[in-house]
Amino acid sequence: MSLKFMKATLAVVLPGILLGGALFASDESPGSNKGPSVTMSPAVLTTVTRGKPGLVPLDFRVVKGFHINSNRPNAEFLIPTVLSIEAPTDIVVGKVTYPPGEDISLPFAPTDKLNVYTGDFQLTVLVRPLVGVAASKYMLHGRLKYQACDNAACYPPKSLPVEFEIKVIKGPAAHVKNPGQSPHVHN
Amino acid sequence: MKKRDPVVIVVVAVVIALMLFFGIRKAHRAPVAELGPATSGSPAKSRPAPDFSLQSLDGKTLRLSDFKGKAVLLNFWATWCEPCKIEMPWFVDLQNKYGAQGLQVLGVAMDDSDKKDIAKFVKDMGVNYPVAIGKEAVGNDYGGVQFLPETFFIDRAGRVQDKVFGLKGKGEIEDSIKKILASQGEAAQAAK
Repeated sequence: MSLKFMKATLAVVLPGILLGGALFASDESPGSNKGPSVTMSPAVLTTVTRGKPGLVPLDFRVVKGFHINSNRPNAEFLIPTVLSIEAPTDIVVGKVTYPPGEDISLPFAPTDKLNVYTGDFQLTVLVRPLVGVAASKYMLHGRLKYQACDNAACYPPKSLPVEFEIKVIKGPAAHVKNPGQSPHVHN
Repeated sequence: MKKRDPVVIVVVAVVIALMLFFGIRKAHRAPVAELGPATSGSPAKSRPAPDFSLQSLDGKTLRLSDFKGKAVLLNFWATWCEPCKIEMPWFVDLQNKYGAQGLQVLGVAMDDSDKKDIAKFVKDMGVNYPVAIGKEAVGNDYGGVQFLPETFFIDRAGRVQDKVFGLKGKGEIEDSIKKILASQGEAAQAAK
Protein backbone atom coordinates (compact mmCIF):
# COMPACT_ATOMS: atom_id res chain seq x y z
CA MET A 1 0.00 0.00 0.00
CA SER A 2 1.42 3.37 -0.97
CA LEU A 3 2.11 6.06 1.58
CA LYS A 4 0.01 8.46 -0.44
CA PHE A 5 -2.97 6.13 -0.30
CA MET A 6 -2.55 5.59 3.46
CA LYS A 7 -2.46 9.34 4.01
CA ALA A 8 -5.57 9.82 1.88
CA THR A 9 -7.37 7.06 3.76
CA LEU A 10 -6.42 8.51 7.13
CA ALA A 11 -7.46 11.97 6.00
CA VAL A 12 -10.95 10.70 5.27
CA VAL A 13 -11.37 7.94 7.87
CA LEU A 14 -10.13 10.01 10.81
CA PRO A 15 -12.75 12.74 10.34
CA GLY A 16 -15.29 9.95 9.95
CA ILE A 17 -14.31 8.49 13.32
CA LEU A 18 -14.36 11.95 14.85
CA LEU A 19 -17.82 12.50 13.35
CA GLY A 20 -18.98 9.27 14.96
CA GLY A 21 -17.57 10.44 18.26
CA ALA A 22 -19.24 13.79 17.91
CA LEU A 23 -22.57 12.17 17.14
CA PHE A 24 -22.19 9.99 20.21
CA ALA A 25 -21.22 12.96 22.35
CA SER A 26 -24.18 14.98 21.15
CA ASP A 27 -26.47 12.07 21.99
CA GLU A 28 -25.34 12.29 25.59
CA SER A 29 -25.91 16.01 25.97
CA PRO A 30 -28.77 17.16 28.19
CA GLY A 31 -32.08 17.20 26.42
CA SER A 32 -31.04 14.96 23.55
CA ASN A 33 -32.43 11.62 24.58
CA LYS A 34 -33.81 12.53 27.97
CA GLY A 35 -37.09 13.97 26.91
CA PRO A 36 -38.45 17.01 25.25
CA SER A 37 -36.96 20.44 25.28
CA VAL A 38 -37.96 24.03 24.87
CA THR A 39 -36.10 26.12 22.32
CA MET A 40 -35.61 29.85 22.16
CA SER A 41 -35.77 31.76 18.90
CA PRO A 42 -32.87 34.15 18.32
CA ALA A 43 -33.87 37.36 20.08
CA VAL A 44 -34.15 40.51 18.02
CA LEU A 45 -31.91 43.38 19.06
CA THR A 46 -33.96 45.73 21.21
CA THR A 47 -33.00 49.40 21.40
CA VAL A 48 -33.45 50.99 24.80
CA THR A 49 -32.86 54.60 25.76
CA ARG A 50 -30.64 54.91 28.80
CA GLY A 51 -32.46 55.96 31.88
CA LYS A 52 -35.73 54.72 30.44
CA PRO A 53 -37.48 51.34 30.58
CA GLY A 54 -37.74 49.12 27.54
CA LEU A 55 -39.48 45.83 26.86
CA VAL A 56 -37.56 42.93 25.37
CA PRO A 57 -39.68 40.17 23.78
CA LEU A 58 -38.32 36.63 24.01
CA ASP A 59 -39.86 33.85 21.95
CA PHE A 60 -39.87 30.22 22.98
CA ARG A 61 -41.23 27.05 21.47
CA VAL A 62 -42.34 23.87 23.23
CA VAL A 63 -41.70 20.75 21.16
CA LYS A 64 -44.90 19.41 19.58
CA GLY A 65 -46.71 16.82 21.70
CA PHE A 66 -45.44 18.23 25.00
CA HIS A 67 -46.49 20.94 27.41
CA ILE A 68 -44.75 22.81 30.18
CA ASN A 69 -46.37 24.30 33.23
CA SER A 70 -47.24 27.96 32.91
CA ASN A 71 -45.82 30.49 35.34
CA ARG A 72 -48.92 29.90 37.45
CA PRO A 73 -49.76 26.20 37.39
CA ASN A 74 -53.01 25.17 39.01
CA ALA A 75 -51.57 22.75 41.53
CA GLU A 76 -49.32 23.33 44.52
CA PHE A 77 -46.52 20.92 43.67
CA LEU A 78 -46.22 21.60 39.95
CA ILE A 79 -43.06 23.43 38.91
CA PRO A 80 -43.76 26.81 37.28
CA THR A 81 -41.91 28.12 34.25
CA VAL A 82 -39.61 30.88 35.48
CA LEU A 83 -37.17 33.11 33.63
CA SER A 84 -34.26 34.54 35.58
CA ILE A 85 -31.83 37.05 34.08
CA GLU A 86 -28.39 38.00 35.31
CA ALA A 87 -27.97 41.61 34.25
CA PRO A 88 -24.83 43.74 34.10
CA THR A 89 -24.62 46.02 37.14
CA ASP A 90 -25.65 49.16 35.28
CA ILE A 91 -28.69 47.67 33.58
CA VAL A 92 -31.66 47.01 35.81
CA VAL A 93 -33.78 44.01 34.92
CA GLY A 94 -37.37 44.43 36.03
CA LYS A 95 -40.51 42.41 35.79
CA VAL A 96 -40.80 39.40 33.51
CA THR A 97 -44.27 39.20 31.99
CA TYR A 98 -45.60 35.70 31.38
CA PRO A 99 -48.53 34.95 29.09
CA PRO A 100 -51.58 33.28 30.58
CA GLY A 101 -51.41 29.53 30.20
CA GLU A 102 -53.90 27.29 28.48
CA ASP A 103 -56.12 25.06 30.61
CA ILE A 104 -55.87 21.44 29.53
CA SER A 105 -56.79 18.08 31.04
CA LEU A 106 -55.09 14.75 30.62
CA PRO A 107 -57.09 11.92 29.02
CA PHE A 108 -56.94 9.88 32.25
CA ALA A 109 -58.08 12.78 34.44
CA PRO A 110 -60.59 14.84 32.48
CA THR A 111 -61.68 16.80 35.53
CA ASP A 112 -58.20 18.02 36.55
CA LYS A 113 -57.19 21.22 34.79
CA LEU A 114 -53.54 22.01 34.19
CA ASN A 115 -52.41 25.48 33.18
CA VAL A 116 -49.69 25.05 30.57
CA TYR A 117 -47.77 26.48 27.65
CA THR A 118 -47.74 24.59 24.37
CA GLY A 119 -46.25 25.53 21.00
CA ASP A 120 -44.99 29.10 20.77
CA PHE A 121 -45.12 31.50 23.68
CA GLN A 122 -43.57 34.86 24.36
CA LEU A 123 -42.19 36.39 27.55
CA THR A 124 -41.29 40.05 27.90
CA VAL A 125 -38.52 41.37 30.08
CA LEU A 126 -38.45 44.93 31.35
CA VAL A 127 -34.98 46.44 31.27
CA ARG A 128 -33.81 49.91 32.27
CA PRO A 129 -30.24 51.00 31.62
CA LEU A 130 -29.03 53.44 34.24
CA VAL A 131 -28.47 57.05 33.13
CA GLY A 132 -24.72 56.71 33.48
CA VAL A 133 -24.32 53.61 31.31
CA ALA A 134 -22.29 54.00 28.11
CA ALA A 135 -24.26 53.87 24.88
CA SER A 136 -23.40 50.46 23.45
CA LYS A 137 -24.65 46.94 22.93
CA TYR A 138 -24.99 44.70 25.98
CA MET A 139 -25.50 40.95 26.12
CA LEU A 140 -27.73 39.69 28.91
CA HIS A 141 -27.80 36.07 30.02
CA GLY A 142 -30.27 34.03 31.98
CA ARG A 143 -32.07 30.73 32.30
CA LEU A 144 -35.58 29.51 31.64
CA LYS A 145 -36.50 26.86 34.16
CA TYR A 146 -39.32 24.59 33.10
CA GLN A 147 -40.70 21.12 33.57
CA ALA A 148 -42.23 19.32 30.63
CA CYS A 149 -44.74 16.51 30.26
CA ASP A 150 -46.70 14.80 27.56
CA ASN A 151 -50.08 13.15 28.04
CA ALA A 152 -48.61 10.17 29.85
CA ALA A 153 -45.25 11.08 31.38
CA CYS A 154 -43.27 13.93 32.89
CA TYR A 155 -39.61 14.77 32.50
CA PRO A 156 -37.29 16.16 35.17
CA PRO A 157 -37.06 19.95 35.47
CA LYS A 158 -34.67 21.54 33.01
CA SER A 159 -32.93 24.84 32.60
CA LEU A 160 -32.57 26.43 29.16
CA PRO A 161 -29.79 29.00 28.71
CA VAL A 162 -31.22 32.30 27.51
CA GLU A 163 -29.36 35.25 26.03
CA PHE A 164 -30.36 38.43 24.31
CA GLU A 165 -28.73 41.69 23.31
CA ILE A 166 -29.93 45.20 23.90
CA LYS A 167 -28.64 48.38 22.32
CA VAL A 168 -28.48 51.27 24.75
CA ILE A 169 -28.70 54.69 23.13
CA LYS A 170 -28.39 58.20 24.51
CA GLY A 171 -31.66 59.92 25.09
CA PRO A 172 -32.44 63.46 24.12
CA ALA A 173 -30.38 66.00 26.07
CA ALA A 174 -31.78 66.45 29.53
CA HIS A 175 -33.19 69.80 30.54
CA VAL A 176 -30.61 71.64 32.60
CA LYS A 177 -31.61 74.46 34.90
CA ASN A 178 -28.53 76.61 34.34
CA PRO A 179 -26.88 75.66 31.07
CA GLY A 180 -24.52 78.53 31.26
CA GLN A 181 -22.53 76.76 33.96
CA SER A 182 -21.91 73.66 31.84
CA PRO A 183 -19.46 73.85 28.98
CA HIS A 184 -20.86 70.56 27.56
CA VAL A 185 -24.45 71.60 27.03
CA HIS A 186 -25.45 73.75 24.09
CA ASN A 187 -29.14 74.33 23.53
CA MET B 1 -0.31 0.33 -7.65
CA LYS B 2 -3.98 0.69 -8.54
CA LYS B 3 -5.43 4.03 -7.46
CA ARG B 4 -8.27 3.78 -4.87
CA ASP B 5 -11.55 5.38 -5.68
CA PRO B 6 -12.13 8.33 -3.23
CA VAL B 7 -15.84 7.46 -3.12
CA VAL B 8 -14.99 4.04 -1.67
CA ILE B 9 -12.86 5.70 1.00
CA VAL B 10 -15.68 8.08 1.91
CA VAL B 11 -18.19 5.21 2.10
CA VAL B 12 -15.82 3.23 4.36
CA ALA B 13 -15.38 6.27 6.60
CA VAL B 14 -19.12 6.84 6.89
CA VAL B 15 -19.76 3.15 7.63
CA ILE B 16 -17.09 3.20 10.38
CA ALA B 17 -18.58 6.38 11.85
CA LEU B 18 -22.09 4.93 11.85
CA MET B 19 -20.91 1.64 13.37
CA LEU B 20 -19.15 3.55 16.11
CA PHE B 21 -22.18 5.73 16.75
CA PHE B 22 -24.76 2.97 16.93
CA GLY B 23 -22.44 0.48 18.62
CA ILE B 24 -21.60 2.81 21.49
CA ARG B 25 -25.18 3.99 21.73
CA LYS B 26 -26.52 0.44 21.93
CA ALA B 27 -23.96 -0.49 24.56
CA HIS B 28 -24.89 2.57 26.59
CA ARG B 29 -28.61 1.79 26.55
CA ALA B 30 -28.31 -1.93 27.20
CA PRO B 31 -29.29 -1.78 30.90
CA VAL B 32 -32.77 -0.50 30.01
CA ALA B 33 -33.47 -3.43 27.74
CA GLU B 34 -32.08 -5.91 30.23
CA LEU B 35 -34.66 -5.04 32.83
CA GLY B 36 -37.33 -6.98 31.05
CA PRO B 37 -39.92 -6.62 28.33
CA ALA B 38 -40.98 -3.16 27.25
CA THR B 39 -44.70 -3.49 27.67
CA SER B 40 -46.13 -6.85 28.59
CA GLY B 41 -44.54 -9.46 30.76
CA SER B 42 -42.51 -12.33 29.39
CA PRO B 43 -41.07 -14.53 32.13
CA ALA B 44 -38.42 -15.95 29.82
CA LYS B 45 -36.89 -12.50 29.51
CA SER B 46 -37.30 -11.44 33.15
CA ARG B 47 -34.29 -10.34 35.17
CA PRO B 48 -33.65 -10.11 38.90
CA ALA B 49 -34.86 -6.78 40.26
CA PRO B 50 -31.90 -4.77 41.57
CA ASP B 51 -32.04 -4.54 45.35
CA PHE B 52 -31.86 -1.13 46.97
CA SER B 53 -31.64 0.43 50.38
CA LEU B 54 -33.44 3.76 50.71
CA GLN B 55 -34.74 5.87 53.53
CA SER B 56 -38.51 5.84 53.84
CA LEU B 57 -40.55 8.91 54.76
CA ASP B 58 -40.87 7.63 58.32
CA GLY B 59 -37.07 7.40 58.65
CA LYS B 60 -36.77 3.65 58.31
CA THR B 61 -34.56 1.82 55.85
CA LEU B 62 -36.53 0.37 52.99
CA ARG B 63 -34.95 -2.54 51.11
CA LEU B 64 -36.52 -4.37 48.21
CA SER B 65 -35.11 -7.60 49.61
CA ASP B 66 -37.26 -7.11 52.72
CA PHE B 67 -40.26 -7.96 50.55
CA LYS B 68 -39.03 -11.23 49.14
CA GLY B 69 -41.92 -13.63 48.72
CA LYS B 70 -44.29 -10.78 47.97
CA ALA B 71 -45.39 -9.50 44.59
CA VAL B 72 -44.03 -5.96 44.46
CA LEU B 73 -45.27 -3.03 42.41
CA LEU B 74 -42.36 -0.60 42.42
CA ASN B 75 -43.41 2.88 41.34
CA PHE B 76 -40.97 5.73 40.62
CA TRP B 77 -42.75 9.07 40.89
CA ALA B 78 -42.35 12.74 41.83
CA THR B 79 -44.51 15.44 43.37
CA TRP B 80 -44.27 17.51 40.16
CA CYS B 81 -45.52 14.65 38.00
CA GLU B 82 -49.22 14.98 37.26
CA PRO B 83 -49.64 11.52 35.68
CA CYS B 84 -48.04 10.08 38.85
CA LYS B 85 -50.67 11.86 40.87
CA ILE B 86 -53.39 10.24 38.78
CA GLU B 87 -51.97 6.76 39.42
CA MET B 88 -51.60 7.07 43.18
CA PRO B 89 -55.27 6.59 44.10
CA TRP B 90 -55.26 3.52 41.84
CA PHE B 91 -52.28 2.11 43.74
CA VAL B 92 -54.08 2.79 47.03
CA ASP B 93 -57.13 0.86 45.76
CA LEU B 94 -55.01 -1.97 44.38
CA GLN B 95 -53.03 -2.26 47.62
CA ASN B 96 -56.32 -2.58 49.49
CA LYS B 97 -57.70 -5.09 47.00
CA TYR B 98 -54.65 -7.34 46.60
CA GLY B 99 -52.62 -6.72 49.77
CA ALA B 100 -54.04 -9.82 51.46
CA GLN B 101 -52.95 -11.90 48.45
CA GLY B 102 -49.37 -10.73 48.82
CA LEU B 103 -49.13 -7.50 46.85
CA GLN B 104 -46.86 -4.78 48.19
CA VAL B 105 -46.83 -1.41 46.48
CA LEU B 106 -43.62 0.56 47.03
CA GLY B 107 -43.20 4.20 46.01
CA VAL B 108 -39.85 5.82 45.28
CA ALA B 109 -39.96 9.62 45.09
CA MET B 110 -37.44 10.84 42.51
CA ASP B 111 -37.84 14.35 43.72
CA ASP B 112 -35.64 17.26 44.73
CA SER B 113 -38.38 18.52 47.02
CA ASP B 114 -37.93 18.70 50.75
CA LYS B 115 -38.77 15.49 52.58
CA LYS B 116 -41.50 17.34 54.49
CA ASP B 117 -43.11 18.43 51.21
CA ILE B 118 -43.04 14.89 49.90
CA ALA B 119 -44.56 13.64 53.16
CA LYS B 120 -47.31 16.25 52.93
CA PHE B 121 -48.04 15.26 49.34
CA VAL B 122 -48.21 11.59 50.27
CA LYS B 123 -50.49 12.32 53.20
CA ASP B 124 -52.78 14.50 51.06
CA MET B 125 -53.03 11.69 48.51
CA GLY B 126 -53.99 9.18 51.20
CA VAL B 127 -51.14 6.84 50.29
CA ASN B 128 -51.32 3.55 52.21
CA TYR B 129 -48.00 2.01 51.13
CA PRO B 130 -44.35 2.75 51.99
CA VAL B 131 -42.67 5.58 50.14
CA ALA B 132 -38.90 6.05 50.03
CA ILE B 133 -36.76 8.99 48.99
CA GLY B 134 -35.11 7.99 45.72
CA LYS B 135 -31.49 8.20 44.70
CA GLU B 136 -30.13 8.59 41.20
CA ALA B 137 -28.07 5.41 41.59
CA VAL B 138 -31.21 3.39 42.26
CA GLY B 139 -32.87 4.96 39.24
CA ASN B 140 -29.82 4.02 37.17
CA ASP B 141 -30.09 0.42 38.36
CA TYR B 142 -33.60 0.41 36.92
CA GLY B 143 -32.58 1.74 33.53
CA GLY B 144 -32.14 5.43 34.18
CA VAL B 145 -35.69 6.56 35.04
CA GLN B 146 -35.53 9.32 32.47
CA PHE B 147 -39.18 10.22 32.88
CA LEU B 148 -41.98 9.52 35.31
CA PRO B 149 -43.98 7.58 36.21
CA GLU B 150 -42.16 4.29 35.73
CA THR B 151 -43.55 1.16 37.33
CA PHE B 152 -41.91 -2.23 37.66
CA PHE B 153 -43.79 -5.41 38.48
CA ILE B 154 -41.62 -7.77 40.49
CA ASP B 155 -42.73 -11.33 41.12
CA ARG B 156 -42.44 -13.25 44.40
CA ALA B 157 -39.04 -14.58 43.33
CA GLY B 158 -37.73 -11.03 42.98
CA ARG B 159 -37.69 -10.90 39.18
CA VAL B 160 -38.96 -8.04 37.05
CA GLN B 161 -41.83 -9.55 35.08
CA ASP B 162 -43.22 -6.40 33.55
CA LYS B 163 -42.74 -2.66 33.43
CA VAL B 164 -44.89 0.28 32.48
CA PHE B 165 -43.33 3.54 31.37
CA GLY B 166 -45.62 6.52 31.58
CA LEU B 167 -49.27 6.54 32.59
CA LYS B 168 -51.34 3.58 31.48
CA GLY B 169 -54.86 2.55 32.35
CA LYS B 170 -55.71 1.12 35.76
CA GLY B 171 -56.88 -2.08 34.06
CA GLU B 172 -53.48 -2.65 32.48
CA ILE B 173 -51.78 -2.15 35.84
CA GLU B 174 -54.19 -4.55 37.50
CA ASP B 175 -53.50 -7.19 34.83
CA SER B 176 -49.78 -6.95 35.53
CA ILE B 177 -50.44 -7.25 39.27
CA LYS B 178 -52.43 -10.44 38.71
CA LYS B 179 -49.49 -11.89 36.76
CA ILE B 180 -46.96 -11.28 39.53
CA LEU B 181 -49.37 -12.51 42.17
CA ALA B 182 -49.82 -15.71 40.16
CA SER B 183 -46.07 -16.25 40.01
CA GLN B 184 -46.12 -18.10 43.35
CA GLY B 185 -48.66 -20.57 42.04
CA GLU B 186 -46.60 -21.19 38.93
CA ALA B 187 -43.43 -21.67 40.95
CA ALA B 188 -45.17 -24.12 43.29
CA GLN B 189 -46.61 -26.10 40.39
CA ALA B 190 -43.22 -26.24 38.68
CA ALA B 191 -41.67 -27.60 41.87
CA LYS B 192 -44.19 -30.49 42.05
